[in-house]
Amino acid sequence: MILWFSRMKHTLRYNQVSCRLQVEGLPDVSIGQGGEALGIITGWSLRWSGRPELEGRRDHLLALMAVVLPYARHLISGVARPFGGGELPVRIAPREPAGHRLELRSSQPETAPLTLELDDAELADLVRVLDQLRLDPRLQLKLDLPAPQPLHPREVLERVPMRRRLVAPLGGALALALAAGVGLLLPEPRPRQSPAADEPAGSALPTDSAAPTAPGQPAQQGEP
Amino acid sequence: MPDAAPAAAAPPVAAPPLSRRGLERLDLLLLSAEALDLNGGEAMVWMSEQMGFTGLFANRVELWKRRCHNPLRRATRRGELNPAETDALIRILCALADRLYPLLRALLSGAEPEAVRQQRWQLFEGRLSELVRERMNPRRVGVQTLLDPQRGARQRQQLILALAYGAGTGGYERLRASLHDPVV
Repeated sequence: MILWFSRMKHTLRYNQVSCRLQVEGLPDVSIGQGGEALGIITGWSLRWSGRPELEGRRDHLLALMAVVLPYARHLISGVARPFGGGELPVRIAPREPAGHRLELRSSQPETAPLTLELDDAELADLVRVLDQLRLDPRLQLKLDLPAPQPLHPREVLERVPMRRRLVAPLGGALALALAAGVGLLLPEPRPRQSPAADEPAGSALPTDSAAPTAPGQPAQQGEP
Repeated sequence: MPDAAPAAAAPPVAAPPLSRRGLERLDLLLLSAEALDLNGGEAMVWMSEQMGFTGLFANRVELWKRRCHNPLRRATRRGELNPAETDALIRILCALADRLYPLLRALLSGAEPEAVRQQRWQLFEGRLSELVRERMNPRRVGVQTLLDPQRGARQRQQLILALAYGAGTGGYERLRASLHDPVV
């Protein structure tokens, strides 16, 4: 029986300059798979040059793909934001001033999470090995990875740093406040005397029965 | 067997035509591929023939006419490209990026000595500037920014990153989704 399993076992290998992904598994004979097909993942390992080797189960590999591939998709659009964490055992986030931090949480309760710091080239290598795996026709496993989608308009807006986004509205508000302040400093114009009030009594010009009023003052009618 | 096929290999759903902004980015990415490879123009035509796109781009002039929909071009063309043409251009770009991946990686790698890396960036930026000056409208602000040594640095780096993460068959869907990003 053990011999039969070892004969059925397949290993898929994908190499890049900085990493090597190796996936082991078996064909799922219950749905008629055979030959070189790999329908059940029994284990995987990711070897980095000069770094500890990562190993895990099927769920860890799927979580790695579900986190790293959307992260790379966002980077193409110039949006660097964290992915994963929470219930997922993998998290990836941008690192200051450059690079990326990949965190892998072990399923063992007392094992500290493993953190890898990657540069852009190493991340590109990781993306390539994961792409090679998911597009390999020998891997006949439903991956349930969402297809990459265009960004939401809000995400596109957030690509511009907050300081630069605030320059225009804050500049406008400041200019408006300055203009209002200068306007308040200016003296109010005095009410203009009407020409009729300046003229002496007994003017030759015809006048109405009501007395002329200065602008801004109500006409005085019906006074006792 | 059919139900066990990887979901990621499913054909992408039909998308609307690329926006002018998307066409601009697509042409600049193709231009970056040309800047990385001195024979890039020829490689593009050859790749188009190898990938079976002769029905869409019968010759190099037809390929050039599609690229001239970039609004930053000196001789820009109005109108929009149909999705089959833009998808073919994106596939050609991904194949070119896959071929150029060792160069892209060398530009991005932090393990390379800094002096060597700087020299590689200078070569790329010098060649890209030549191509941009030759083909793009210098009165456009986008062109002036791209040519500016300081202000354009981030955009040039972004072009290389997009090529690296969009290289190969696997990168096609990512790059295509990114080119369809909304314009805000």
